[in-house]
Amino acid sequence: MRNEIDIKNKIKANSSLFTNFVKNAVNASPKVQNNFLDVSAQVALTVQKILEDADLITNLEYKGKDFWSENKCKTACFIDGGVDKTSIISSAPLSIRTGSYIVKPDAADKNREFFEESMVFLGDLYDPKNELYDFAEDDFDEDQMLNKKKDGARIIFEAVTIVKHILLNRKFDYCFLHGPIEATVMPFTVMGFPTFTKFAVENMLPFYNKNKLNAEARHFINVYLEALNSIKKSKFPTYGIVETSNSAPYIKNLLYSYKSKGTISEKDFKNTLSTIKKYKITDSHLLEIILQSGQAIKPLEVKKQIKGFSVTSGSAWEDKMDSFPSVHIGYIKVNDHSAPIRIESLNQSKNLIKDYEYILATARLLPNYGFPVGLNVVDKFAKIPNWMSKASRKYYATHLLKQAIRSKDQNTISLAVKILSKKVRSWRNRPLGGLAR
Amino acid sequence: MNTKKWKSIGTVLGETNISEFYFSLKNYKAKKGDIITTESKIPSSEGNVVPVTVWGKISSIESSNAFFPTEAAQELTNENIDIRDTILPTTRDELICKVIILGFTLKDNLKLMPLNYPVRPAATVSYPSSEDVEALLISDLDSEHPLFIGSLLARDAVKIKIDADNLVSRHVSIFGMSGSGKTVMVRRIMDELLQKKYPMVVLDIHGDYLGFIQKQKKLYPNNQVKLFYPNLSVSSDDKEIIYTLIDKLGNSLTDPQKDFLSSLLEKVKYEGGSLLKYIELLVRKAREYASDSSKSFKNIRPASMYVVVRSLGQVAKKLKNMEQTNFRHRQKMSKLKFEELPDAATEPEKIVNKGQLSILYLKGYENLPASAIVSILLENLFKHRQEVEEEIPPFLTIIEEAHNFIPSRSEDKDNLPSVDTIRKVITEGRKFGTGVMIISQRPSRLDETIASQCNSQIVFRMVNQKDQRATTRDSETLSVDDSKQLPNLANGQGIISGQVVNFSLPVQIKFDAELINDDIGNENFITAVENWDDKESVKQRKKFAKDFSNITSIDKRRAN
Ligand SMILES: Nc1ncnc2c1ncn2[C@@H]1O[C@H](COP(=O)(O)OP(=O)(O)OP(=O)(O)O)[C@@H](O)[C@H]1O
Ligand SMILES: [Mg+2]
Repeated sequence: MRNEIDIKNKIKANSSLFTNFVKNAVNASPKVQNNFLDVSAQVALTVQKILEDADLITNLEYKGKDFWSENKCKTACFIDGGVDKTSIISSAPLSIRTGSYIVKPDAADKNREFFEESMVFLGDLYDPKNELYDFAEDDFDEDQMLNKKKDGARIIFEAVTIVKHILLNRKFDYCFLHGPIEATVMPFTVMGFPTFTKFAVENMLPFYNKNKLNAEARHFINVYLEALNSIKKSKFPTYGIVETSNSAPYIKNLLYSYKSKGTISEKDFKNTLSTIKKYKITDSHLLEIILQSGQAIKPLEVKKQIKGFSVTSGSAWEDKMDSFPSVHIGYIKVNDHSAPIRIESLNQSKNLIKDYEYILATARLLPNYGFPVGLNVVDKFAKIPNWMSKASRKYYATHLLKQAIRSKDQNTISLAVKILSKKVRSWRNRPLGGLAR
Repeated sequence: MNTKKWKSIGTVLGETNISEFYFSLKNYKAKKGDIITTESKIPSSEGNVVPVTVWGKISSIESSNAFFPTEAAQELTNENIDIRDTILPTTRDELICKVIILGFTLKDNLKLMPLNYPVRPAATVSYPSSEDVEALLISDLDSEHPLFIGSLLARDAVKIKIDADNLVSRHVSIFGMSGSGKTVMVRRIMDELLQKKYPMVVLDIHGDYLGFIQKQKKLYPNNQVKLFYPNLSVSSDDKEIIYTLIDKLGNSLTDPQKDFLSSLLEKVKYEGGSLLKYIELLVRKAREYASDSSKSFKNIRPASMYVVVRSLGQVAKKLKNMEQTNFRHRQKMSKLKFEELPDAATEPEKIVNKGQLSILYLKGYENLPASAIVSILLENLFKHRQEVEEEIPPFLTIIEEAHNFIPSRSEDKDNLPSVDTIRKVITEGRKFGTGVMIISQRPSRLDETIASQCNSQIVFRMVNQKDQRATTRDSETLSVDDSKQLPNLANGQGIISGQVVNFSLPVQIKFDAELINDDIGNENFITAVENWDDKESVKQRKKFAKDFSNITSIDKRRAN
């Protein structure tokens, strides 16, 4: 067990908690600044004590060469989504796709690895006839709504990709998603968030035909819930992996359960939570200090969708929140110099340690970044390649001009021409597209 | 042509236009230089849409495994992990090919026409069968007299032919570093032209073409192959060349001395024949003038005349030396029959004749005399072609080591008489059927105007940047992508472009082993040393060397 000096040194030696604090220190009062080190060290020590008391810390084994020669027979699937973040006024072209990287190391070359473009959408979200979202006259700030629509589409696509693999009865030993296994759905509960089109839902979840797909059934919340329920039933272990946490669900839940057991008093619980909030302490920050390279903490069951507190009050979706499955959250510290990665699953794993060791081994293949390399690989694949967004750019530019001309409004045409003559700059692509050219 | 049978090898990418496109290639399915196709549609002149086959050539391939993170290599090494055991991608090399569009063909007609409508993105790219590629090339070449030279570099089964008519009338340059395969290529072309009985004159400095003599009976029973050694035979018309030779080969002269030399050439008439004899005559005459003291030359002092006499003697000596060197080389090849080069002015038919290959063996001659010999020879042959009677048929001149005969101005070798002659022969070759083939390892050292007159080019391996630049400068058809390939070509692999083909093609030249001159397999120095036995004179010298050195050392002892 580490002592206070150890912890303080560790905090100062480059931890993200410290860097984060220094960044915010400018705005903090001098007293807060003075107390920071003492307080955070104290929180870390306390949390560490509880973790040890609950026997949540575990050592993972990693022997690179032996591990891989034993596990080369396993089939793993890595999933990630990519969005082409282009947007210009009056047109919202969107290319989004999810890719799957499926690999069985010991298979013959021909069958060793597959890159699948699992879901693709190419369209204009402002086009009333687009095939993804129903058109809605929304009173909300357009940009904000557009971003939500993009996020919603990406989240659904990723979940549905896993569902697709399940439906196809794929024989995976592991399935990993880049990002949370269950996203917070609160942003999509806002009034006026459009429903998915019938066409989109039928394609995404062919088995889902609740009430002949009425508007309610086609809303993000219901479609996503349906997808998650399907994932929960999958035969292969499925994990969402997140680089860093910017909140503290694990710590808060841990403290909460100790409070419920009566080990922590109501008052101490409340005070500690407010301290955590004040110093913006996250799971990543604390666990980075507490865990050593190769250590993990066993998962806790956490509710992602919290009723009342985060759903806009009076939302029609408030009651739905309880239907969402809870998530098992754990952490693995891959190496000495990066924050632990968050591991999420909908089910409690039967072979937790083996699974975590597999994740650790895939992450050790990126020794500096400390993140499962398969997800890095599929991330590059899912990114909209350069030539593709270049082509879609032209496609939409033409589309836009046609529309403008059709409207025969002189102002619109000149606006369209202006937009078209903008340089590539305004069409930001994701960096380093997969296809070099 | 059954396009259905062609294998699909990739997909057209992104933006396309009418001159090039990119496609993503399946692993190992094609190579640089390969000919590929994609099906497309174009608007016809009648206003309907017709399906066409678009043909293209892979001009470059880039491979990257964008999915393999460099960091991973570090861990693999540190832990001694076999990448094949891990989940890292090993088979996802992304291959992007750039294609130069050659044109399109319509169904059942292999005529290649320029594309005027872009190919379709996302279309399938196919690998046409060898027979179909060959058929396309032949039909596109549309040649009455095709010459077989080798196979498409990337595909053995596709035979490559070039057009003989363009070859003999429009001039060809063959460039490449030493040992890259130029001479092998020339011999291949000569073999084909011999079958067609086309007359050729080869300027052979190294004896690279003597194999034709040795194999004449066996391989070319219907041809004549003649082997000539040079004879500097001049006529009074060649005054300028004679003057240059004496001026350059002899001692350097002052202006009055030069005046005397010019007047001497005016005065001493010569009816034609050996240059050496003429120079000997000049020496005699000059000595006479010098001794009978300025009756005919008022302003020139006898001393100056004697300088000219000595210089002429010098020239005569050099010429004799070169003749003798050449003679000794010939003697080593006693089995071959050498003839003295006939006088091209009076007996051109002995040099250029239907079915005849004439090899002029120039070994041993310095640049300037060799240039003079060539200049006089070609000047005369050209004249015979120009005349109405046409005493000789059209013929092809093959100039090996061309930088010796047509150096660039910047080489500071002005006044080589062959430069003007060859320039004339080349510029008017189309009219008179005097085609020229220029071979050189240093294209950057060649006369620019002459090199740029060659409208066909065959380029072999070339590493030197200056030479690469000169090569692309002189060529209208060699692309930048082609020139990038030059340093990586192997022996006998060349890029052929220009009028003898319709678009540039990388070719593996067929190697005719039997045309190698087996008398001078002289690059085998190790064996030569192994079998070395000192000549008698050397043995004697070695024997006495010891005694003499003893004398010297004793002599040098200090007397006590
Ligand atoms: N087409 C070919 N196929 C196989 N081998 C070849 C081919 N061309 C050349 N070679 C090999 O390379 C050697 C040198 O070729 P070659 O004499 O044609 O070179 P070069 O370019 O004329 O060189 P240099 O400038 O020195 O005269 C040949 O003797 C032969 O061994
Ligand atoms: Mg040669």
